[in-house]
Amino acid sequence: MAEKRRSGGTSGMSESKPTKTDTEREFLSQAGVGELLRGALLKMVEARSEDPMGFLADHFCNQASEAENGTGGCCSDGDLLNLGAGAHEQQQLSRALWHLRLAHHSQRSAFSNNVRVAYDLLTQTGPQRRGAVGPSGPAGQCSSNSPGGGVRGRLYTHTLQCLCSEGGVPVSTSAPLLRRLHCQDHEAVPYDIFRHGVLTCAVFSDYIRRAQRLYAEVCGPAEGPAGRTLCLAVLGTLHEALETSRSNGGSSDANHYSNANAKANPYLEAKVSRYLEASAKISPGKLAQAMAGAEPAGGNMDAKEFEDAAAELFIARVRVVC
Amino acid sequence: MSVNTVPCTVKPTVTLQIGDAETDSSRPGVYVIDVTLPIGQTVNIQEISFKNYYTAYVSVRLLRRDGEGAAKWTTCLRNHCLMPSPHTEEGSQDYCSVYRQQMLIEPDNVTSVRLILRQPSSAWLNFSVEDIKIHPCLNEDSEWDIPDWLSDLTQVDQLCDLQGLPDPQTVSSSIQQMWALTEVMQTNQTTASIGRFDVDGCYDINLLSFT
Repeated sequence: MAEKRRSGGTSGMSESKPTKTDTEREFLSQAGVGELLRGALLKMVEARSEDPMGFLADHFCNQASEAENGTGGCCSDGDLLNLGAGAHEQQQLSRALWHLRLAHHSQRSAFSNNVRVAYDLLTQTGPQRRGAVGPSGPAGQCSSNSPGGGVRGRLYTHTLQCLCSEGGVPVSTSAPLLRRLHCQDHEAVPYDIFRHGVLTCAVFSDYIRRAQRLYAEVCGPAEGPAGRTLCLAVLGTLHEALETSRSNGGSSDANHYSNANAKANPYLEAKVSRYLEASAKISPGKLAQAMAGAEPAGGNMDAKEFEDAAAELFIARVRVVC
Repeated sequence: MSVNTVPCTVKPTVTLQIGDAETDSSRPGVYVIDVTLPIGQTVNIQEISFKNYYTAYVSVRLLRRDGEGAAKWTTCLRNHCLMPSPHTEEGSQDYCSVYRQQMLIEPDNVTSVRLILRQPSSAWLNFSVEDIKIHPCLNEDSEWDIPDWLSDLTQVDQLCDLQGLPDPQTVSSSIQQMWALTEVMQTNQTTASIGRFDVDGCYDINLLSFT
């Protein structure tokens, strides 16, 4: 496909061979090359990928297939669409995932933009099926309210699964999380829930990678598995810190703070004091104390069990989609 | 300038004149204003604030109650200048404050304050001070309760028996990042709902309620 485009381009150029710079400039502005390149450069700066060549190739590939589908999507040939629907969906999914991979979730605005683009991409599969005659009747209903109406539940769940597996999370570890986040196949997922699910999975993959690194640190230089009580002591401090900084929890000391300066925003002050208290619980001193207090006997804990225990702390705080 | 003020009564001004008040037609040059606290109450003054109205000099005397219960008048501010030139407008309508630090004695256990106003210039028909407020000292200790966990902070160096245990700094750093990631997830939770109407996974007509 790439070769076809290139040859088309060169044949066009050979016909009207420019000799003066004015005609060259005219040609470039007519073809809209400036916009194309500007868009590519902006995306590249946002993503800061380590492989610029590969990134640009992927980017132009996506643009090309999107442009193709845009013109060809209005055709009402039901049978052809039916056959191509599955493959088309797969294509949309891989493109959406590519967008979601561009920015890390900590780059808040870039990540939000990419989530929006991915959401729009995935909702486009809705109107495509309007012409379908097969048993996928309900698809027309969910897209009749607005262009799209939302991402199909099945596609949304599939996106989350791919995000988790790409992030290095084993299927068994991410299963409980997906049970909380998934939607029914036939449901239309609105943007807020889509964003919530995607962000949670991105953060979860970072969290699990950290937990794996933590296990390696707890094992220390010794090659064998870490002691059970030691692992539980370390995870216990994290559990305590999370309990302390919970929105509706926290110690009663927070209520004693009555600084005149912060009277205007007592909620913020209470939150800050809870965060400070929680961070004190996971300071190096506290961890050293917890680890020194762990009894040496009690068997070992392997990496998988540690990962599951850490994942449980995270997943317990994820809001169930309902 | 703190917002807290002590409720007090400002008595009407008393003029001090030489000669008979009824026969003498010249205007008085000295006024005395007494400010008293409710009976039994004493205050540790942080600040006395007022609005000037063409008063040139002010002296402040305090009635203090000492340990034995006896009351004593002492001067805490002598001839404090409010208007650099009594004949001109400068400083005539300023908002002024007299602070604890400016006073000659410690203004503690005060029951009454006397302001002696002087205006030597005959240019002005009248002079006084308005809006007198007494600000007490704030007790810093009662407002700040040190929480338990602050006094409970332990240093890593204090614990020497860390043989065979992993490095607390690296472990703490990982745990902190995991905690931060969980907090990020929690703060970004949405309250949006997908709008399901099923109960326990099914749309049985009998389960639908009419509320």
